[in-house]
Amino acid sequence: MAVKYGIPTDPDYTERLAEFEARIQRGEKIEPGDWMPEEYRRQLIRMISQHAHSEVVGMLPEGAWITRAPTLKRKMILIAKVQDEAGHGQYLYHAAETLGVSREAMLEALLSGKAKYSSIFNYPTLTWADIGTIGWLVDGAAIKNQTMLAACSYGPYSRAMVRICAEETFHHKQGKEMVLLYAKGTPKQRQMAQDAINRWWWPALMMMGPHDADSPNTEILTRWGIKTKSNDTVRQEFINEHAPEILEAGLTLPDPDLRYDPQSGNWIHGPINWDEFWQVVKGNGPMNKERLAARRKAHQEGAWVREALEAYAAKQQKTALAV
Amino acid sequence: MDTQWPRWEVFKQDTPHKPHQAVGSVHAADPQHALLTARNIFARRPQAVSMWVVRADDIFSRTKEELAADPVNMESEKTAALRPYVVFRKTSHRRSMTFVDYVGEVSARSPEEALKQARAKFTDVEALAWWIVPADRLTKSDPSNETIESWFAPAKEKTYKQQQYYATVGSHVSKHKTGREDTDEA
Amino acid sequence: MRHEIKQALIAKLTALADDEVILSHRNSEWTGHGPILEEDIALANIAQDELGHATVWFGLRKELDGSDPDQLAFFRDAGEYRSAELLELPKGDWAFTMLRQFLFDLYETLWLEAAKHSSYQPLADAANKILREERFHLQHTYAWVERLGLGTEESNRRLQEALEFQWGYAQQLFVPTPGEDLLVAEGMVPDLGAIKAQWLEHSSKHLQNSGLKLPINPGYQPTSRTHHTEHLWSILAEMQSTARWDTEAKVW
Repeated sequence: MAVKYGIPTDPDYTERLAEFEARIQRGEKIEPGDWMPEEYRRQLIRMISQHAHSEVVGMLPEGAWITRAPTLKRKMILIAKVQDEAGHGQYLYHAAETLGVSREAMLEALLSGKAKYSSIFNYPTLTWADIGTIGWLVDGAAIKNQTMLAACSYGPYSRAMVRICAEETFHHKQGKEMVLLYAKGTPKQRQMAQDAINRWWWPALMMMGPHDADSPNTEILTRWGIKTKSNDTVRQEFINEHAPEILEAGLTLPDPDLRYDPQSGNWIHGPINWDEFWQVVKGNGPMNKERLAARRKAHQEGAWVREALEAYAAKQQKTALAV
Repeated sequence: MDTQWPRWEVFKQDTPHKPHQAVGSVHAADPQHALLTARNIFARRPQAVSMWVVRADDIFSRTKEELAADPVNMESEKTAALRPYVVFRKTSHRRSMTFVDYVGEVSARSPEEALKQARAKFTDVEALAWWIVPADRLTKSDPSNETIESWFAPAKEKTYKQQQYYATVGSHVSKHKTGREDTDEA
Repeated sequence: MRHEIKQALIAKLTALADDEVILSHRNSEWTGHGPILEEDIALANIAQDELGHATVWFGLRKELDGSDPDQLAFFRDAGEYRSAELLELPKGDWAFTMLRQFLFDLYETLWLEAAKHSSYQPLADAANKILREERFHLQHTYAWVERLGLGTEESNRRLQEALEFQWGYAQQLFVPTPGEDLLVAEGMVPDLGAIKAQWLEHSSKHLQNSGLKLPINPGYQPTSRTHHTEHLWSILAEMQSTARWDTEAKVW
């Protein structure tokens, strides 16, 4: 299959680009093999692989609590949730691979520190209530993002997102169920839940990315149907849904400026500490080094396993040919 | 050292009455491992009764857009033997979890010839993308009842992975304004 | 039901459940740290299934003595657990985990196939249900033993080392629990001696076909489920930590 990624110096670029953008306007999906600008491909590889890395790294903060889950049911549910996250990473690596990049190359970029992943996972999980809070807030934010991306123009990414959206709702709900329970539970449970909300609220808001004014990629991503809502829009939707629910649960939010504006129907939030955000993105968050170290270790220690599988397959093929 | 091993595209059949559909891919080194892995990745939730895997390299694919830009060159080699090819097709831009669906088989001497025949044979709906696969390159899950019971049926009981299992409702702003209690849906 | 039968059944069900709880725990330690993303997912499936099986066995015990499964799992001390020592061993490397899983899955599959015919209907039904999932587990781990055994020199060596370590421990799976002879007489559970013979035959064959040598001297073979490895205390300390942290809590 000939690879057709257009660059501006191609003689037919302008014409092709116009038709490409028209297809997107018509609501058509761009599939592997279709003409696309190299820039479209580049942006998608960046976004999809980062999304994939986020899922896989995201297994670690929650995975750490599987061994300490307090009931058989909660343990089973948490294993299923973390398993889903691995699965989501898997779907996303697949989608990126359709653009001609190998999983090995993407992993190399992650492990060397070149590729990014969602900085929310650079925060530590300190109590069992963090698990419920992550399900409610972090997956809640992820769902907003994913629902938007399910409409994206690139077929494989859209399909991965539709599958992920279907699976993610249970993550959100089980988290919410847990926090609501603890908020009405014993004094220790209530305090644990409140402490978790206090620590995760702001990082969750930052998940939706910098303010629109500070987001350089938005314009082209919007034109090419990759991103259909701005960061601030998604963030506002998230707050409007979650703030009243958390307050109704009898918990407070660590934002003294938070107030409901009846005119707009929006919950107005206080200033976000973007310094913290950029520090964490740059690699100076509480868990950055540990997360990457864990992934590197898993990858390195797994090398002999992957080699064994290859060697076995090679021997099988040889035997098959010899017959 | 690059220990990347082949990619296998996976097809899942939800019920005996539906066609096999392309759901994604897995990395595995051999066909049996690819099938086992495909089940773990794509049959975590119902429904499924059958799965097929094929090496990504064995798929001859063309989108409608590709065909328009570059019609398939059809110099069929009369010396090549006729083989069965399995045909998959995408027919809608509608949002979906799956890509191409199984539509049938043709007999041809090359993937290009198979595609030509497929386009002539399956004309009920416009095709947006085609996948042509030599039939002998497909590895299929065992169709016996025992396998279906052990590979695919257990997922139905894992209701804790379904969102309906969790009895919470989203609270609306209006609910908050009227000061009503957050009640769990029974 | 006669008192001795009931007690014997409770002991057996507890052993079955404890095996699943501890093994699932060890398997779940791999989540996020597996050698390949797809295998993380595969082992997480096995771990989930095992917890489901533990719930089934504890459920059967609850029908007999009203005990609460979470109370049993999270508030019994190591001395009260009845898990087999094989399952308490640390997860080791991938070869260690896959070999242990294969030895256990094979035993469980053979046992369940026989237990389907139990004269105690709840047990027969449970066995039927669990067997479906076990069959898939066994296919998976069977495939892994073959691939690691016949893969590279290194993978073969690691698998052989795992076998040397585990073979003696594995024999404990066939040691009856207190009163089990009564249950066998009633036709409620299969005779472990018969299961062991099948297990020895099938495991030896597959291990040898996979390029491994059976240990000549199996070494330490535990004889009672009241004895445990050093590891169990630490496993439970971690596993039970959240539940025990707030004993007032009624729901989690």
